[in-house]
Amino acid sequence: MKSVPLPLPSDWRLWPGGGASRVTDGSRPQSSAHASVPAGTRERRGAARRGAWVGNAAAAGQRNMAAAAQLTDEELFSELRRFGLSPGPVTESTRPVYLKKLKKLREDERAGARGSAKKTRNSNNNNTGAGAAPGEGGGRAAPGMGARLASPDQTYLPGGAAGGSRSRAAPPAGGGKVLLGFSSDESDVEASPRSQAGAGGGSSSRRERASPPVRGLRPAASHGACSERSSFPPEAGRRKPSAWWGAVARRPTATAGAQTQGMREPGEGEEEEDEEERQWKNRTVNGNRHPSFGGRAEYSDSEEEEGERAKQQVLKEETAPRQHRGRRSLSKSPAPFTASKCAAAGAGMMETGQQRAGGGGGAGVIAMNDRAEAAAAGSLDRGRNQEEEAVMRRRGDCENLDTSPSIPRYRSTSSKNSPPLLVLPQPTDMDSSKSSDPLGTVRKAANNHVLSGAAGGFSIEPRIYSATNSLPLGAVTPSSLRINHSNHTGSNHTYLKSTYKQKLSEPEEELLQQFKREEVSTTGGFSAHYLSMFLLTAACLFFLILGLMYVRMRGSGVAEHGEVNIKNPFSEQLEEIKANEKSLMMNSLYKLHDRLAQVAGDHDCGNSIQRNLSVQETAAYLKSLGPEYEKVLNTALQWIMSRGEDVGIKCIGSDPSEELNNVTDVKYLESTRPQMSFRCRFRRAFITVTHRLSILLLGIGMVWGVLHYMKYRWTKEEEETRQMYDMVVKIIDVLRSHNEACQENKDLQPYIPIPHVCDSLIPPQDRKKMKKVWNRAVDFLAANESRVRTETRRIGGADSLVWRWIQPSAACDKILVIPSKVWQGQAFHLDRRNSPPNSLTPCLKIRNMFDPVMEIGDHWHLAIQEAILEKCSDNDGIVHIAVDKNSREGCVYVKCLSPEYAGKAFKALHGSWFDGKLVTVKYLRLDRYHHRFPQALTCNTPLKPSNKHMNSMSHLRLRTGTTNSQGSS
Amino acid sequence: MSSTSQKHRDFVAEPMGEKPVGTLAGIGDVLGKKLADKGFDKAYVVLGQFLVLKKDEELFREWLKDTCGANAKQSRDCSGCLREWCDAFL
Repeated sequence: MKSVPLPLPSDWRLWPGGGASRVTDGSRPQSSAHASVPAGTRERRGAARRGAWVGNAAAAGQRNMAAAAQLTDEELFSELRRFGLSPGPVTESTRPVYLKKLKKLREDERAGARGSAKKTRNSNNNNTGAGAAPGEGGGRAAPGMGARLASPDQTYLPGGAAGGSRSRAAPPAGGGKVLLGFSSDESDVEASPRSQAGAGGGSSSRRERASPPVRGLRPAASHGACSERSSFPPEAGRRKPSAWWGAVARRPTATAGAQTQGMREPGEGEEEEDEEERQWKNRTVNGNRHPSFGGRAEYSDSEEEEGERAKQQVLKEETAPRQHRGRRSLSKSPAPFTASKCAAAGAGMMETGQQRAGGGGGAGVIAMNDRAEAAAAGSLDRGRNQEEEAVMRRRGDCENLDTSPSIPRYRSTSSKNSPPLLVLPQPTDMDSSKSSDPLGTVRKAANNHVLSGAAGGFSIEPRIYSATNSLPLGAVTPSSLRINHSNHTGSNHTYLKSTYKQKLSEPEEELLQQFKREEVSTTGGFSAHYLSMFLLTAACLFFLILGLMYVRMRGSGVAEHGEVNIKNPFSEQLEEIKANEKSLMMNSLYKLHDRLAQVAGDHDCGNSIQRNLSVQETAAYLKSLGPEYEKVLNTALQWIMSRGEDVGIKCIGSDPSEELNNVTDVKYLESTRPQMSFRCRFRRAFITVTHRLSILLLGIGMVWGVLHYMKYRWTKEEEETRQMYDMVVKIIDVLRSHNEACQENKDLQPYIPIPHVCDSLIPPQDRKKMKKVWNRAVDFLAANESRVRTETRRIGGADSLVWRWIQPSAACDKILVIPSKVWQGQAFHLDRRNSPPNSLTPCLKIRNMFDPVMEIGDHWHLAIQEAILEKCSDNDGIVHIAVDKNSREGCVYVKCLSPEYAGKAFKALHGSWFDGKLVTVKYLRLDRYHHRFPQALTCNTPLKPSNKHMNSMSHLRLRTGTTNSQGSS
Repeated sequence: MSSTSQKHRDFVAEPMGEKPVGTLAGIGDVLGKKLADKGFDKAYVVLGQFLVLKKDEELFREWLKDTCGANAKQSRDCSGCLREWCDAFL
């Protein structure tokens, strides 16, 4: 098998301090040997990778990456096939290309699968770290952290600044290329995962190498890392279930780690026990990180800074052995890395160590935490105090965790890490929440700047929410906080203390606000999505309401109005009518009005024939209501008549048109405001509306019809005029050619009977139809053609009208007469030099067929099509012709049944003169043709010229001097 | 897409025969020399590589970049020219 090393960035292997820490996760397991991690670089890489991988349970994928360079040709081939690629032969020259492709495919796959996990990671890192957020890898996170530290820790500035500097400066010092290392590592990892690691052993050895130095360096930071490792094993084991957890735990632990160096001792004890577990976990789940993180978490528990150094030393010792022993386990390796970093930092500063650790962890979060811790420890007493408290809690939590099941642990761990934050609540989301919480706490302790980090996390990782596990990280602070509140109120809240809460509250609010913003945006999108629907519904509702209003206005609405009217007159008349009659008459009028309205309504609805009540009926009605009402009737009628305005009751005499002056003349009473049921009203409204609509539609239809008819007339007129001109041209052509023929052949008569011309130009079936056109053409010729003289000649014994061409034929005239749209011959002979030997595709693009500027009318493209079909009359494979009327080049596209037909058409058309232009043809790809002319897909019927006259070809015959066949026929 | 270069049209217009590698669009003197040094002295050798990569332009461009350090435009021109030649003559 050929293992062609992929071209890797030269930086790759040359990390000064770190040596090449390109070991991939896959390779780690192999590196059982004790490697002393030289610098944090390796760790970082490892951590970064781990971080990336953590989400994926697909350790295999990682291995593949790492081993890509070692794949045999066959394996490479099958791998590519697995990705849905159909590779060609893998040869020496193609192998690198395919390796790269495979790498890319794997990355894509990983990105896809990881999607959520990565995001979570990032989010975690970001959140915890510095909200460096975007940071894909620890590298970014680290810088971000540095930035955060610097910014947030105003008081801590020394520490923060140091932290920040570390991230950049530290690289050179300890890890040498922390930042660069990160970025490069990531890229390298992705790019050439294994080729370098490839050595597998080499990678492991690198780590191992790194570790020894670490041991030596281990000062405090290394201890912290070591202790973390050791302590974590158990946790890691528990955490294993979910990769993130590990990551999350790491973050918290990282934070804790910085603080809790003293914890290491306990951790150590556990470490040995857990080492095996860790190894297991690591192997199975890529859990290396987890364990390491777990270790950190434990550390965090023991975070007390006071004892840190002592513990660290102890830890160092412990870690060293561990490294030797367990380094095989991936988890260990990360720890060593962190340790080494820590050691480096130790040489320089605590902070550096932390940073390195963070890098090693791959989670910028850790680094951030460490920094925060360091900063806190170094400069800020309050921060320490808080942290210590937190630590204390964490410890307690850790203990609890150990005892409690994995989920509880998580919570506890999270709570420990971020006691103040309350993150603990969600089991699944706990990681993220935890991580975020720690950060939040740390930040809070340091400054209140946590928000920025959290914000960054939020913005970056909205997706996380959607994602299941990974989401927690992204959502981290906001979600976790919320969750905590809602779900974990009991347990979590207990952990929280008032101070913490206070600190938390601010960041929380900000987070919530940001979260809200997100929500708003999403809802905005949602509403936008349904905006059209909403508008439609609103419009429908509007019209419905409008219709109902209309119905109502025509019914009850008017009745109410009438009542008001009735009242008013009463009020005016009140003084004139006796008090006792007043109410009586009012009542009677009311009842009468209602009764009349009902009667009228019934009539309008078609329920009764009568629309009014006679006075007698009214009296009877009023009497039925009460005897006293009857007496008022006359008074009421009098009043109604005296009012002179519409009160809702109309008095009608025997003659409806007659004006009534006397009460005795009143025969009928009728309501002017019929009261109808809703159904009735609705029906009437519907009928009315329909009626009016139909009238409107009818009107519109008539206008439309008239317009169309006018347009039709116009087009027909235009068409006839065009035909007439065509006919004139043909007639002139016939006469002219006949005249020429006469000059050559003196036997012929120099004139042509008009009917003969007509019959020769118009096919029999069209003669009736063309009669009008012909007559117009004849009239036109008589009126406007000076070269044609109409004479009467006796032919065959009968007088008939003849045309005589009286203009002497001139050479120059011939040119003018050259009809357009004709083929004028071949410009050159086709041979192998100027045409492809084989027909390649069934589609042709023909250029220079016309000049769109010169074309007039609507149907000139049909003439072009016709010309092509006639030119290819021996080719019955043309199925589609499209004239691009707008192309400046005069392009015509032709599709044939098969490439063979296209080849024939190519030969027929290419290099021909058409209408004074040299036609060129080239082949067109079928898919492109179909893309442009989708309708051509279904064309498979060969096109034929529409007539046999071959007008476009006839010019050749005319020019050759033969008699115009049409004219002589 | 912008119009093709004269070199491209010249190459695509006819069978490549024994044309040197430098006649490929996107391959100038420098790249042509590099390719020739690696054994790709004729255009048809490069075509062979192109075909071996199954006319996959992406892969071919990658290969071209690795082999002679062609930039994006050069590799695009070259692959486009070979593809079109293949479309026309294969």
